[in-house]
Parts: sequence; structure tokens; C-alpha cells
Amino acid sequence: MKVLVGVKRVVDYAVKVRVQNKSVDLNNVKMSLNPFCEIAVEEAVRLKEGKHADEVVAMSIGPKQCTETLRTALAMGCDRAIHVTTDLRTDYMDLQPYAIAKIFEKVAEQEGTDLVLLGKQGIDSDCGQTGPMLAGFLGWPQVTFAANLEAKDGGIQVERETDAGTETINIPSLPAVVTCDLRLNEPRYATLPNIMKAKKKKVDTIAADSFGIDLEAHNEVLEVFEPPQRQEGIMVDDIDQLVDKLKNEAGVLA
Amino acid sequence: MRSLVSKYLARHAYRTARIKGSTPVATYRQPRHRLSSSSSSSSFHDLFNPTQEHAQLRAMLRDFVQNEVEPQAMEFNRTETFNLPLMKQLGDLGLLGLTVPEEYGGSGMMGDATSVVMVHEELSASDPAFCLSYLAHSLLLTHNLSTNGSETQKLAYLPRACSGEIIGGMAMSEPGAGTDVLGMTTKAVVLQHQDAMNHQNSWTLSGRKMWITNGTIDNGQTTGDLFLVYARTGPERQDLTAFLVEKDMPGFELGQQIKDKLGMRASPTAELVLDNVSVPPQNVVGEINGATLCMMRNLEVERLGLAAMALGIARRSINVMKEYASQRQAFGSDLYKFGQVQQMITTSYAEYMAGRCYVYALANRLDLETYGNGLDADGTKLYCAQMAKTVADRSIQVLGGYGYVGDYAVERLWRDAKLLEIGGGTNESHHKNMARDLKAMPHEIE
Repeated sequence: MKVLVGVKRVVDYAVKVRVQNKSVDLNNVKMSLNPFCEIAVEEAVRLKEGKHADEVVAMSIGPKQCTETLRTALAMGCDRAIHVTTDLRTDYMDLQPYAIAKIFEKVAEQEGTDLVLLGKQGIDSDCGQTGPMLAGFLGWPQVTFAANLEAKDGGIQVERETDAGTETINIPSLPAVVTCDLRLNEPRYATLPNIMKAKKKKVDTIAADSFGIDLEAHNEVLEVFEPPQRQEGIMVDDIDQLVDKLKNEAGVLA
Repeated sequence: MRSLVSKYLARHAYRTARIKGSTPVATYRQPRHRLSSSSSSSSFHDLFNPTQEHAQLRAMLRDFVQNEVEPQAMEFNRTETFNLPLMKQLGDLGLLGLTVPEEYGGSGMMGDATSVVMVHEELSASDPAFCLSYLAHSLLLTHNLSTNGSETQKLAYLPRACSGEIIGGMAMSEPGAGTDVLGMTTKAVVLQHQDAMNHQNSWTLSGRKMWITNGTIDNGQTTGDLFLVYARTGPERQDLTAFLVEKDMPGFELGQQIKDKLGMRASPTAELVLDNVSVPPQNVVGEINGATLCMMRNLEVERLGLAAMALGIARRSINVMKEYASQRQAFGSDLYKFGQVQQMITTSYAEYMAGRCYVYALANRLDLETYGNGLDADGTKLYCAQMAKTVADRSIQVLGGYGYVGDYAVERLWRDAKLLEIGGGTNESHHKNMARDLKAMPHEIE
């Protein structure tokens, strides 16, 4: 089984983002591996360790700093990496899920991939569209929001999160696309010896515009704004005052 | 779904590489197996993370410390107990044998002082006491043995020390000999009988060793697993020899676990008693009467490690007071608006950065396999230990009553910082050494 795993470089979850010029200001902001992609990497590496996967290839789309994100994936145990280079923003401002899924489609075909593992969404745009679109383009079966994944008789069995618990889906034969959810696993720490070994692993570079894919954004972001500042609470004297305020100020009671 | 994400994000930081590597500085000596450099511009980032791998190591450490070290720190401080499983986890990450060659189970970062500094700095931002035990095991025992031990000794002990299967330390100080270390009285004498196989002599060790970090690792039941013990073997003051003393050697006993320390309470400290301990010749480390040099060399890296611990304490203290001052309201505004508070935060930051630059400037050019860097090893610790204590003190002051109790960690950091002015060399011993080195300097200070 050949596994292709998506690795997105996003604004670090701990950063308090600022809005400037109708988008999130990315200047001098700490960037990190998208947490859901990290779960996908962990799952891919476990498939390899369980002798179900022969090769795990990590792939990232973005500027040259993405190689750092890919090195993290390599230090966690991926075998090699593909860096699709572009200076377009990947947080929905320029390059959007449609084009990203198209690039993944090309690479999965070139690589002879059997299983594509992606995070269920990036924490920057929160779209959650790349996995389903990719499966559509490829015509492959898909399972989103994976909470458990087992290789089984040449196929996979995936437990997926739903609003009412989980459901188990059997895909009797590969290829397939799976997007990974929070409970799937707990990613490992890259050990120091593995950080050093990752340095020697291969990272191939391909320009995004060399695929002959339309990279234009087809949806336009009209406005990005920070959530309004939360007002301090007030103390009310009695129930009557509370009901009055709920009726006349908050407008939540008729 | 959104709440799941935030839950994940709140409890589970994830690991990633920092944004850039660095330009190699031509005048810096490149030790063997040194991490290679990559290109970049941001000068501070490069000073503190000279290569992309260093940046990755730091990112991993931040993540590990936040998830695994921080949550346990307060409890182990309160109960004065040692977190042995967490120490073994450092073995899994390849941190216990950081500077040990791979063939002995280490991570192969020989000579790389920068990695050593990073680990101590990051661990100490959450738990200096745990870090002190890490230092005793990884630098004073494991690194020391890796530098000074024979091939046979390294093969016999290092793989287990690097994995965390055995945890120990180093025994130098005595009840009556600290800064005046050459005044130690623990003796090793040659046994009468000869070892028939190789005609080498067995030794008998007698004496008491004091303030031994990791002297016990089971909360006062027995000794730690393995110690590098210095003992007197000749008539001259410098006639010291290093011996490997193992747990359960007859006559090697735990004297007492030293309790009620001001700080570093999660790091076990003990008195060890050597009562006619018979030590076979293969446990002699280095030359007979030749240990003084090894001891002094190892003290250099120990001091750099302790200086790095001070950096972690200072950074955490500054972050705590900065955050608190921004939140706490008084006289109609937040504390951050008051000049007195601004002075404490900004002065602390400037002093912290001065110390951090000193430590990394030294670490980045230091090859741990050489020696002769005593002046600045002493200098970094002398400066940073006092700086950390002062910064932690200011942090308590900014927080007022809240700083004086345990919840915000700064009172613990303040107590831990005080040890750095005593352990691994008192401030006064650094004054003594540095005054000697500065006087002997054949040229003006550059």
C-alpha cells in the first residue's frame, strides 16, 4: 500500500491573529503543521509500522517554508516528501480547495497512491472540502471524519464520527481517500534521532503552476473581520430586572 | 465540531518546525557531527536556533514540555517526589544520551552544546527541579562517562543510561567539602590481593558524599542506580580518581534523603555512604590520579546547563508577569499601564535577553569535547543564576499575593532559582575562578 498524506502549513493555533487588508495578517506569525494533518501523518506512519503500508509520502503545497513542515512529518516517520511550491496563500485567500484537490489528484495519479490521508480540515480556513473534492475528482470511495482506521484484507475499515456517535464503513479494496478527525490517534513526538534522520530524507519540489491546473480562486472573500470584543457582564439586583433586561435590551424574551 | 477543535487545541499542542534555520557563522568552530546549518536572516532566531534541526528540537521540546512536563510540576514539587517515569520518557525521545555516540545508544550530538542548552532551557520553563535531575543524569553521569570512560565501560553502561533503564548521577561534594572540592576526604585504597586475570588492582572506597542529585530515585528507599564517584587516591591535593559505583555494591548505602529543601523539591537529593566498598579495576574511569581534569571539564558543561536552566526560569517568569499585568485591574486600568510594573517587566526582559545571548553565543561555539572555556562557563552561570532569581522575584512582586502562592508557579521558580546560585558552583566559586582566569589572561579583555 502506498500512502500519500497531506501536510498543511497553517497559522499556529496559539497565535492571536490580526486582520489587515481584508485578510488575516501573516507577517511574522508563527506557522505550524495543521493539527488534523498531524493526526493523518501519525496514522500513515502507524500503517507503515504495522506493515500495511510500504511507503508513506508527505505532501505540502505552499511557500518554501513548507519544507520545515515537511521535515516535521519526515521526523515523525514519513519516508519522503513532495513540496508543491507556490507563493499563493493557501488559507482560502488565493489557492482554494478546488485547486488544492486538483493538485492532489495529479500527484496521487503520478505516485500510484493507494490511500490518501488528509486532515478533516485546515484550522485556518476550516473548509473541510479538499478530501471530499479529491475523492470526487479521482472517482475513489471516501470516508470523512475518521475516528479509527484498520487495514483489512486489502481494504480498510473506518469508524467515522457522526453527530449521533460513530458509524463503521468498510471499503473492501483500495484506492480510497480518508480525512482524519481528532480522536483517531494521539500523534507522537519526533525523537531527536529521528529529527536527525529526517534531514537525510528526500524532498522533491514541483512548481504548482507546472501541473496545468487552473489555480485561480473562483470564490471571492468579501470581508474578514475579527469577532466583536466580548462586553463585560453586569450584576442585576433581582429577577424582575433580569427579565426586564432580557426582554428589552437583549431581546431574547418576548 | 468547533468545540472539538478547540478542545483539541487547548489540550494538545502540535509539533512543527520553526520558520527558519540559519547562516553558519564562519568563526564558529564546527564540531564533529554538528547539526548542519541552513540559510536565513533573523539574527536572534538564528542565534538561539542555529540550524533547522535545532529549531525542530526546540519545537518538539516546547510541545513535550507543555503536554507532559507542565501538568505534573506542581504536584511533584508539593509532594517532594521524583517523577521517574517522566525521566524514562526523555530516554524515549533521545534526550538522556543527547551527546553520546549512536553506537552506545545515544543521539549522536557529540560536542553540541547548543542542544544541551536548549533541553535545559525548555524543561526549566516548566519544571527546573525535574530538569536538575535530568542534568545530573545526562551531563554529570552519562556525558561524563561518554567523554572519559573506556570502550568497555561505555558499552557496559551507556546504552542503559541513554534509554533510562538506569538513572544516576555524580558524587563529588562531601559534608565538609564543597567549593573547596580538592579538600575531599573520601579515599580509595588498593586492595592487597591482585586480580589474577589482568594483574590490576581492586579498590576499596570509604567516605561520605553529600548533596547528590538522584542519590535516591525511589523516594528514600535505596540509592540511585549508578554514580561516578570521585575519591582521593594519592597524597597530592589533585590526586583524585573517578570510580563507577553501582547500586547494591556491598557497603554502598543511602545515608539519607535530604528533605525540606527550599526549592528543587521534585529532584531527589541524598547523602551517600561508602563503607569499604570494593570496586573492581574495570570501574576506574580514566587515569589513576587523573580525575581532576575530567572533573573540571565536566563542570564547564554543567555550568552551561545550569545557566540554561536559569533562562527557562526567567522566560516563564516574564511571561507570567506580562500576562497577569495585562489582565489585572487596579485604579481603573490594568497593571500594565503603571510605570513601576513596566519597569519590572522591561528590565527583566532586557536582562533575560542579555543572559540568553551570552549563553547561546558560548554554546554555539563550544565544542563539548574540548575544554578551556571555564571563564565564560562560570560567567554565564554567575550572571544567569542571579538574573533568574531577580526576574522571578519581580514576577512575584507584580502578582502580589497571587505570586506568593503556588498557582502561578513563580514562587516555585523563585525557590528553584536560588539553587542555581549554590549548586554546580556557588557564586563565590565563580568569582574565585573568574578572577583567577581574568588575571591570567595574557591580553586585555576584547
